Amino acid sequence: MKKWNRRGLLLATSSVAALVLAGCATAAEEPATTTSAAAGAATECTDLRIGVSPYGMSSFIAQGQEGMEAYAEAKGIELLWTSAENDIATQASQIETFINQGVDAIIIAPVGAETLGPQLQAAADAGIPVVAVNTTLKNDSLIISSVLPDDVAAGAQEMQQMADHLGGKGNIVILQGPLGSSPELDRTAGINSVLANYPDINVLAIETANWSRVEAANLMANWLTSFDGQIDGVVSENDDMAIGAIQAMKEAAISPLLPVVGIDGIEDGLRAIEAGEMIGTSLQHGRVQLAAGLAVAERVVCGEMVEKNYVYTMPPVNADNVASYIGNVVTDTEGFLARIPELIEKNLASGDIANEN
Amino acid sequence: MSEKLETKATSIIEGFREKWTTAKIVDLLVRNSLLIVILLVMVYFATQNERFASLGNLRAVLIAAAPFALIALGQTIVILTGGIDLSVGSVVALGAMSAAWLSLRLPPEQLWLAILIAVILGTIAGVINGLVIAYLDVPPFVATLGMLTAASGFAYVIGGGAPINGLPAEFAIIANAKIFGFQLPVYMMLGSFIIMALVMRYSAFGLRVYAVGGNRTAAEVAGVNAKRTLVQVYTLSGFFAGISGVVLASRVGSGPPSLGVGYELLAIAAVVIGGASLMGGRGTVWGTFLGLIIIQTLGNGLDIMIVPAYWQNVINGVVIVSAVAVDVWANRRRTR
Repeated sequence: MKKWNRRGLLLATSSVAALVLAGCATAAEEPATTTSAAAGAATECTDLRIGVSPYGMSSFIAQGQEGMEAYAEAKGIELLWTSAENDIATQASQIETFINQGVDAIIIAPVGAETLGPQLQAAADAGIPVVAVNTTLKNDSLIISSVLPDDVAAGAQEMQQMADHLGGKGNIVILQGPLGSSPELDRTAGINSVLANYPDINVLAIETANWSRVEAANLMANWLTSFDGQIDGVVSENDDMAIGAIQAMKEAAISPLLPVVGIDGIEDGLRAIEAGEMIGTSLQHGRVQLAAGLAVAERVVCGEMVEKNYVYTMPPVNADNVASYIGNVVTDTEGFLARIPELIEKNLASGDIANEN
Repeated sequence: MSEKLETKATSIIEGFREKWTTAKIVDLLVRNSLLIVILLVMVYFATQNERFASLGNLRAVLIAAAPFALIALGQTIVILTGGIDLSVGSVVALGAMSAAWLSLRLPPEQLWLAILIAVILGTIAGVINGLVIAYLDVPPFVATLGMLTAASGFAYVIGGGAPINGLPAEFAIIANAKIFGFQLPVYMMLGSFIIMALVMRYSAFGLRVYAVGGNRTAAEVAGVNAKRTLVQVYTLSGFFAGISGVVLASRVGSGPPSLGVGYELLAIAAVVIGGASLMGGRGTVWGTFLGLIIIQTLGNGLDIMIVPAYWQNVINGVVIVSAVAVDVWANRRRTR
């Protein structure tokens, strides 16, 4: 009766550790190669059934589902939608179920970069092509094509936005994603690549706030104490942490607010740019990115030629262009979803996957 | 005349000597070791950076501490009965998500209803924990582990798996309104601690909690309704977790379903650093307050000194274990 208390604490600790989320993106670094898709090119190309297994239901994936469904409806594709809830085993069994159901293609956003080997082999043996969106595997030899964000470019882009705003000199602090996760590593690499060009920009502190607004608010509050009046700008690796930093500045009555940049272009981030509280972000639009993944899978099944890697290069958002994006992401999503099928066709043809016009 | 004064002075000194023997002073120091450690830590941080001891920094520490403080308070009462509540982190998420969801659907003048319902949902989660533990005899670890999973599931259901953003400005008032320069949650924290400290010390309820945790059979023989007491403590824990969720969502204007992951362990850490026994029956609200303050002060001071997050984790781990080790040693010393 009494012993379990202590053991329980340990158990709970390890289960919490296991809950720590896997990352959500990897940059495609290999040069794009053209692969002839689907060995059995004779597959008939109507009434497709495509299974989708994303790592979990983040707001990004929830947007992506809308985009995929809009595209699927226009093309008469049946989507089998699941969610792995950030569990490797769940994702593996979802893929096995898809194989047993004999789907025409499988779209995955892997939970972990070194997982799913046996499942992808089974899919290949069954002649079912697998397409990766948003995240991928370290060994992508069995992934026929992928649509992935360029997180290195996004990191570089936000650092450039800040450097331009500061006129190339000043003191900044950097809020990172969960240390060691692939988007954190890539975005930090991008930030550092630009910083190398600006010897007069001094990084006062760089630390993780784990994508969380609350953690970022507390960390920023402490930094405001450490560097009283010395901080000139805040570079955050996502919009949520940027908003947390703004909250800390408001609580500390910093006026005017220090310039802040983020990444992702979530609703509150775009609103903050509109309100002049953030100077910029980089838009990662789930509706566009995931719908493109579906369109690629469709082409593979239909025996069309596809690239090995499609790169989603996040467009920069700032006060000048935020109005157009806020319509697509927040206020007029219906109108935007209606345009999705046509837009995606155009983007795959041009290779500019992130285009929204 | 002067002689009289002299004898009076000597007698005062004598009296003082009698009252304050070395053993007694050592005993006092050992008993307040945690408070002394906190003061030493604060002095150290203040010498490293003079702004550590500023009013602005005090505000930052208190507003960061408030949501954890509410959870730790509930956790203290639960642990005093010899139980544990692992579900508080998920109940925080449930409270935050339901308040966020409702705040987008209710007119601004009915926002209080969103807050009330969120807190009630948290309380209901606590009631269920208590009933399952008291009347179905499911061990607290298992019952609240189940609630941890279920409440987290509900939090995801409410937002369809995604965070709820774009909350109305009125909702932000709860956590951002200031009185005498401090935000509202700081007063909620201090008020809750004072009230619960008094309740645990002077009320029949407090007595029952200690009795059930100390020796349940004996308490029942003495006429304490142990089952009802258990339901009450888990209900309180759920209630505080619900409030904590509302405060967090209001502060950053967002309801993320992943909010609160791991908070239960932070709360348990604060309670055990504060000298409570996981076996129940021993511990105080004041002790938890000190435990919480040391965790928050360390986090704040190490951030200010720009110590990397992974080193902070190492330091926190060492602090938890050594605080409890010192406490165990001090107790053995006292009973010897």
